[in-house]
Amino acid sequence: MEKYRANLLMCAGTGCVASGTPKVRDALKAELEKRGLAEEIKIVLTGCNGFCAEGPVMLVYPEEIFYQNLTVEEIPKLVEEHFLKGRPYEKLMFKDIEKKHAIPLMNDIPFFKHQVLRVLRNKGLIDPESIEEYIARDGYMAAAKALNEMTPADIIKIIKDAGLRGRGGAGFPTGLKWEFASKSEADQKYMLCNGDEGDPGAFMDRSVMEADPHSVIEGMIIGAKAIGASKGVIYVRAEYPLAVERLQKAIEICTESGILGDNILGSDFSFDLEIYLGAGAFVCGEETALMRSIEGQRGMPRPRPPFPAHKGLWDKPSVLNNVETLAQIAPTILNGAEWYRTLGTEKSAGTKVFALTGDIRNVGLVEVPMGIPLRTIIYDIGGGINKKKKKFKSVQMGGPSGGCIPESLLDIPVTYEDIIKTGAIMGSGGMVVMDEDTCMVSTAKFFLEFTADESCGKCTPCRVGTRVMLDMLTDITEGRGREGDIETLEDLSRDIIATSLCGLGQTAPNPVLSTIRYFRHEYEAHIKEHWCHAGICSNLCSFHINEELCKGCGACLRGCPQQAVVGEKKKPHRIIQELCIQCRTCYDACKFGSIEIRPAVRKKTTEPAAKDEGVKQ
Amino acid sequence: MADEIKILVVDDEPIVIRSCETVLKSEGYNIEGCLGGKEAILKMEQTAYDLVFTDLKMPEVDGITLIRWIKQKRPDTGIVIITGYPSQDTIKDALEIGIIDYVPKPFTPAVLLDVTKRAVEWIRERAPVEEKAKEEEFPPSMLNEIDRVISQYKNRPGSSIPVLQRCQQIVGYLPPQVQKRIAKGLNLTPAQIHSIVSFYSFFTMKPRGDHNIRICLGTACYVKRVEESLNKIKEYLKIDVGDVTEDKKFSLETVRCLGACGLAPVMVIDEETFGAVTPKKVTEIIGQYT
Repeated sequence: MEKYRANLLMCAGTGCVASGTPKVRDALKAELEKRGLAEEIKIVLTGCNGFCAEGPVMLVYPEEIFYQNLTVEEIPKLVEEHFLKGRPYEKLMFKDIEKKHAIPLMNDIPFFKHQVLRVLRNKGLIDPESIEEYIARDGYMAAAKALNEMTPADIIKIIKDAGLRGRGGAGFPTGLKWEFASKSEADQKYMLCNGDEGDPGAFMDRSVMEADPHSVIEGMIIGAKAIGASKGVIYVRAEYPLAVERLQKAIEICTESGILGDNILGSDFSFDLEIYLGAGAFVCGEETALMRSIEGQRGMPRPRPPFPAHKGLWDKPSVLNNVETLAQIAPTILNGAEWYRTLGTEKSAGTKVFALTGDIRNVGLVEVPMGIPLRTIIYDIGGGINKKKKKFKSVQMGGPSGGCIPESLLDIPVTYEDIIKTGAIMGSGGMVVMDEDTCMVSTAKFFLEFTADESCGKCTPCRVGTRVMLDMLTDITEGRGREGDIETLEDLSRDIIATSLCGLGQTAPNPVLSTIRYFRHEYEAHIKEHWCHAGICSNLCSFHINEELCKGCGACLRGCPQQAVVGEKKKPHRIIQELCIQCRTCYDACKFGSIEIRPAVRKKTTEPAAKDEGVKQ
Repeated sequence: MADEIKILVVDDEPIVIRSCETVLKSEGYNIEGCLGGKEAILKMEQTAYDLVFTDLKMPEVDGITLIRWIKQKRPDTGIVIITGYPSQDTIKDALEIGIIDYVPKPFTPAVLLDVTKRAVEWIRERAPVEEKAKEEEFPPSMLNEIDRVISQYKNRPGSSIPVLQRCQQIVGYLPPQVQKRIAKGLNLTPAQIHSIVSFYSFFTMKPRGDHNIRICLGTACYVKRVEESLNKIKEYLKIDVGDVTEDKKFSLETVRCLGACGLAPVMVIDEETFGAVTPKKVTEIIGQYT
């Protein structure tokens, strides 16, 4: 291998690529050649680094200096300063918000500082298409150990003792699942990987598959040995083309190198692995539905028992594990159960990866030990709400099966047990932060639209029930809500939960129940006062300018598509209610917070604003 | 709406015609009657009817002969049988030739209305598909490619989804005749293939535009109000979600999370991802593709 003075690890994850990695890479390459540095400095394209908010990002090795928001224009200056003159280029470094100084080293940046990387151990460090780089980071050592030195029972014991729980959402103990399948007698068993990451707002699995495909394959080989499977399938969403490509390449390399196929790594164990593309059905994340889908049928769940560990794919014993679960297997086998338990809590051991998104400053992928407070993730790592003057309202966890957690509960530790008490679920790891401009009724409606649409239609409570609830929520958000609707929603929720066959239906009402639980006043305001405080439901709000706060800058007037704002420069402006269509443009445009949201006004009265004057938000 | 539907009732018993008239006219259907097959053929040579309700046992020209004639000369007309003997062999013959439904005699107004409604739905659904089947012609190379994919997967269990995915790549969408070809090749019924196509959102039965725009409706995009951008695109291209512009340049779809939440709100055109879009930005970006 050739030696380089420095390695430039450029993130080529989906986020950074969309933000411009390819162009920046070309410019950087050209610049290095121009300056005669091409022999000394190597550019490596890595998988997702996780800090998507500031992409494209790049890490300079060996110094570990972190550059963000790279642009083609800045490249010549960067190369000259850092690589010719040896002065790291401050302009492209992360800036501390309060102190305004640059933070050069990646691990000093708060976003990275609080993280502990196990699943994402190779993120942004290796070229995902190079098996050598994976092996250089202890890759396939665990597989070699498991295949040559361990019995299936040994493997299962470590995973059970470690307390590893499935990271797909429900948190079923992985070791136990393996044990059941291991004990099933059959001529053929299957080891399956669930890469059908369907939760909206979650992209952990995508990043792992893109950045470190070998870690998933290694986990599957070890799992296959544990249960005695000779065939495996990775089920991946077709919406993730890059993940599919990387996995495909990784499987090919492994087959060539004797890591997949017959007599793996000199052992007597054989395992074949293939990829199966999903076709876009959320319900296929449910294990029995996923297996039907691989069989070429409609992905509809099936009652359990029989459990897949006894009768799964093609009616043979099968184990389905989530991508993140599988990526943790190799280090656990190498380092042992006790090492695994050094992080996390008794019942929720290890780390969890979260996709931090929404109204938060540091959007990205984070891995933290379980048991740390939610607040640490949102404020210390996430940097809090992305707009200065806005307040935190809620964090949504668990996607359409989860719920919204309010400010008052932010100090709970992140564990399976504590999260479920809030009415949300740990879920696969989507964490969507919402600020005070979010309407919780609309949010519940958003999730219900999703589940109503994705219900496979097999069970009536789920198919019809979610539709009925959705209609009620639509009525409430459009001003047709009635007294008693909240109670009916709660009733319906309980029925749907009790009578649906699979996880989709059993959890579909969660977003509604949790928002009613913590934000009941918003539902009531919608129904009784015709007032959406956040100003999202356009039938249920009106916009008014507080003349004391208005500076007359004209930003609202210029933005208004209806010419509904009137006023002279430097004098307080006014909104003509008859013309206003509640598009929020003025609200977003005002820098002084002078736009107030009040209940809906009846149009075509002479002085519409006057009668609501007394109502303060 | 109902009065756009023209129905011809053929029965040798005037009472049947009269009762059909009473029931269906009140619902606004346009109805005519005649007492035998011969008269019906004469009428149909002059006028096109959407639906024909016919008895099977009639003097001179009987029901089966009439149905055969309609199938040949007026294939777009839907046929419903009115019969006193639903178990007879003639019904089997009629079913084989192709009818929509039958009404057993004697019938109640509710039954007649129900059958009529379903028959109308059936012809409405069928009309555009059949038209398309006539106008769409696929080059032989495309069909060869489809056959190659089928033979490659033929003997593998559970291959219908990969085959459909590959064929959609080849054709761009999955019209009925492509589905039929696949069904035949894989030894499945067209209904089995269609049940898969209609279940998974990845499959489409409509052709897409030259550029396919996909808007992410994931949670992160929702929180960042992607809907405003989506509405802007609809307004700008003058199409709804799932449609194609008149010049076939753009089609618009929504997806459930593209997993690029860090860039929310996200729009994808063909394979290229655009992050942090706003109503203003989307029109600029789309403008570059025209």
